[in-house]
Amino acid sequence: MREQPRGDALLACARQVLREQVLPTLPADRKHALLMAMNAMAIAERQLRAGDAPEAGELDALRGLLDDDGLTLATGNRRLGRLLRDGAADPGAPRRAALLAHLREVGRQRLAESNPKVLAAEAG
Amino acid sequence: MEDKTRKAVERFVAQAAGASSVVVTEARQLSGGAVQENWLVDLEIGGGPHAGPLACVLRSDSPTAGVAISHGRAQEFALLKTVFEAGVTVPEPLWLCDDRELIGRPFFLMRRIGGTAAGHVLAKDPRYGGDRVELAERLGRELARIHSVRPPQPALGFLPWYEEAPALHLVARHRAFLDAHHTAYPALEWGLRWLERHAPARGLVSLCHRDFRTGNYMVDEAGLTGILDWEFAGWSDPLEDIGWFCAKCWRFGNVAAEAGGIGAREDFYRGYEGESGRTIDREAVRYWEAMAHMNWAIIAVQQAERHCSGEEESLLLALTGHIVPELEWEILNMTEND
Repeated sequence: MREQPRGDALLACARQVLREQVLPTLPADRKHALLMAMNAMAIAERQLRAGDAPEAGELDALRGLLDDDGLTLATGNRRLGRLLRDGAADPGAPRRAALLAHLREVGRQRLAESNPKVLAAEAG
Repeated sequence: MEDKTRKAVERFVAQAAGASSVVVTEARQLSGGAVQENWLVDLEIGGGPHAGPLACVLRSDSPTAGVAISHGRAQEFALLKTVFEAGVTVPEPLWLCDDRELIGRPFFLMRRIGGTAAGHVLAKDPRYGGDRVELAERLGRELARIHSVRPPQPALGFLPWYEEAPALHLVARHRAFLDAHHTAYPALEWGLRWLERHAPARGLVSLCHRDFRTGNYMVDEAGLTGILDWEFAGWSDPLEDIGWFCAKCWRFGNVAAEAGGIGAREDFYRGYEGESGRTIDREAVRYWEAMAHMNWAIIAVQQAERHCSGEEESLLLALTGHIVPELEWEILNMTEND
């Protein structure tokens, strides 16, 4: 069993130290590098917290959408991309709504880890 | 700067400038771009037409330059010369050294301009860039001058030529990249299909900067001092640059200022229309704003890959990959209704 606190909690704590104790002491032209590092830590923290669930959900959805239980994330997304390129979600196509809903759902998951501010701004 | 490099630069400039003596009085590296290095270089030139002090920037290829579609220094120098002669405000290109023997890679010198280019600063702090109505208009005029450069241009023979509609050319290029990439991007495929279905026919084709946005021009407190970063320039529909400049993804958080986060869209358009004598098709720009998000998403994937592949370890490149989801999201917002 891993020792506590786990990675996501460690990252959160470390970020707080950087924000409160280190950032204010840096000259203006050095702050950017630290802010980038803190952003990277925040993304890693959110990925750790979300665990494997988002990708497992995406794979389930892909297998259902493409009706093939043998798909991996890589092969499923490749096939989905090909379908979209060939017009499977053009206006009037029967699967347009389902395919768009899938892209939105996966997009929300990706944003929740990479940049949740976008979702917060839309909600607010 | 290493002593050997400094000496080589002095010898090179003495010959290029027809001077009897050249001394590098100051040299330090500026924050580098992803594909090139910039050095601040002060020269003291003795004799010849440039006699006296000269404030320059020395640009060389980055030791690990990787983005395949960007130009090397020799080509960038040719571009700068062409647009400088077309009246675009750019740092005056001075001398190009194509010989790798001198400092290990090609480089050129250009006259140094003052100011700041930082996009976040410009979008947040109105003290930079002078009056914002004037700045937006001025940028419109500058872009119109860039677009006054029309093919054929023998000095720009290295720019790829193509006969199809510029929008479809881009769609094909992006698809070819995605097909060769290790990971598929279904949301980008959705967007590319929309861009294909709505692609405008080939019309006027001009020189385009292709990275004309806030962050890539310099301003001081009085206004514009120069347009930078020409490494992505190519032949295209002029609206590609207009869409890129106005796209939401390049407003640095100042979303209401639709002209690059620094001004009003109509001010920018007025400058462009006055200089070019052509009316901008407002509706057509919307298409090119969707294309802007696509272009940026593809570049972001490529930048991240430079880090992921081990070619160039960089936190900036790594984080650029994490911009892709918000670009995909905006593409869906712009394309879901038709």
